[in-house]
Amino acid sequence: MTSLQREASKWLSTMQIGITNQMAYKINFLLMIIGPALVFFLIKYNLWVSIYSLEGITEIKGYTLEAMIGYQAWVLLVELLAKTSNGRNLAEDIRLGRVTTYLIYPFDFWKFHSASFLGTQVVQCVIFSLTFVIVLFAGLIEPAGVFQFLAGVGFALLVGILWYSVQFFVGMMAFWLEETWMLRVIFQITAAFLSGAIIPLELYPSWLVQVLDFTPFPYMTFYPIKVFQGEYSGSLLEGYLILFFWIFVIMMFARFALRRGMRLYTAAGM
Amino acid sequence: MRVLKKYLHVYQAYFAMNLAQASSFRMHFVLVILVDIFFYASSLLSVSFIYDHVDTIGPWTREEFLFFVSFMLAIDHLHMMLVAHGYWEFSRELRTGDLDFKLLKPIGTLFPIFFDRVRPGSALLIFVPWGCLIYFGVQAGLSPLSWVLLPFLVVVAFTLAVSIQILIAMVMFWTIESIGINFLRMQLQSLSRWPDFVYLYFFRKFFTFFIPVLIVGSAPVKFLFDYSVWQPLALVCAMILLFFWLIRVFWRIGLRRYESASS
Repeated sequence: MTSLQREASKWLSTMQIGITNQMAYKINFLLMIIGPALVFFLIKYNLWVSIYSLEGITEIKGYTLEAMIGYQAWVLLVELLAKTSNGRNLAEDIRLGRVTTYLIYPFDFWKFHSASFLGTQVVQCVIFSLTFVIVLFAGLIEPAGVFQFLAGVGFALLVGILWYSVQFFVGMMAFWLEETWMLRVIFQITAAFLSGAIIPLELYPSWLVQVLDFTPFPYMTFYPIKVFQGEYSGSLLEGYLILFFWIFVIMMFARFALRRGMRLYTAAGM
Repeated sequence: MRVLKKYLHVYQAYFAMNLAQASSFRMHFVLVILVDIFFYASSLLSVSFIYDHVDTIGPWTREEFLFFVSFMLAIDHLHMMLVAHGYWEFSRELRTGDLDFKLLKPIGTLFPIFFDRVRPGSALLIFVPWGCLIYFGVQAGLSPLSWVLLPFLVVVAFTLAVSIQILIAMVMFWTIESIGINFLRMQLQSLSRWPDFVYLYFFRKFFTFFIPVLIVGSAPVKFLFDYSVWQPLALVCAMILLFFWLIRVFWRIGLRRYESASS
């Protein structure tokens, strides 16, 4: 067995462990992964239907009721595919001194958690596929074409890696902070608000949208949806490169924090 | 009166302990405040951005809707400051068996479980939701009687919100891993942050009579705008009594199921 095969086998085994861990408590998994996205969609579906029907509005900034519901259905799909809570336990690993275990594993801390994340992504891909079929047959979305669909899936998967990078970076803060959930919640609230997950960005003030283009937020929900809908106005390659850039920057910070943090780490925990 | 004094005395001790803890971890203290600020800003701005494109949503103007949002923020503020941490601790205590120590305390058991963690950082932010409540209340033209009733109705709505959430938390006696239950609890909380009239018929009925999260904010705010709409508020009071009773029943059943660390 070559070293590459051995490495691949470690990644695959850890991915399997990740999937098993996720599926061990099925109700818990359902409530954590599918529940929030579904309730979020339910609220927005009701809200927009009532806004359009109660006020007799036919169009808001180019969005008819069908287009708005379609947008919200795509938000649901992008979230199911991309949004991950993987890395939530990193802080606990550090605080309780469980990092020590990884020091003697033939698979380091970063690789172990990244492989677990990839395992979760496999599960999320299955959930995404099932939900896609349901919303398609419910007539909530109209895919623009096979190429746009595949490009959108690729975009959303990269957004998943971006979410994971942020979660990993936040987890590393446990080397310095007592708890890190606040940072995670701040990021989630900000991302939900500024990524177009609640309202399409066309409805935001134009100056704010211009500012947001310099941040990763629109690339986390709004642009993946536009790619799925075949309405992404920029270059697709440029979009992918921007996402790669943000993943690279955040991962570099995370790896740097891990290296610095390990110098502070005592096996007894933090 | 003596019982109330005893509980207040214990609560004072909890607050002092939490304050001492919060001042030891200053960055944590600051970050908790930031979480609340981000949450308040995103809640208010989301509604404000929608109103940039419509004049009214249902019967409410921008000011009335933002008053409702502020009302819910005031409840969320009390909730985050006084109870929110308790649910997560309850989940951990059930799993690890640490609940034993609380069961042994010479005080009503639910009190130390859900009310021993106070967030002093959130207490500092009291002026934000209440400032918004006053600002949008003035804009919405609230009557003098409504201003008098406002603090009482916030407390009544908060009581119902907490009762619903404690009852949902009781489900943790039956589950092994309880983070999902806490997620469900938070999702139900987020449903209540929008007025009942935005929901379609089935959802509105279900979340009014079965899991009454929609009346938490909608009933008191509708009453503050129009005193003839008192029936939903009466329903809130009835639901509080019902949920107090249900918590009592499920707490006893749950305790019978609890097997310390092996639960």
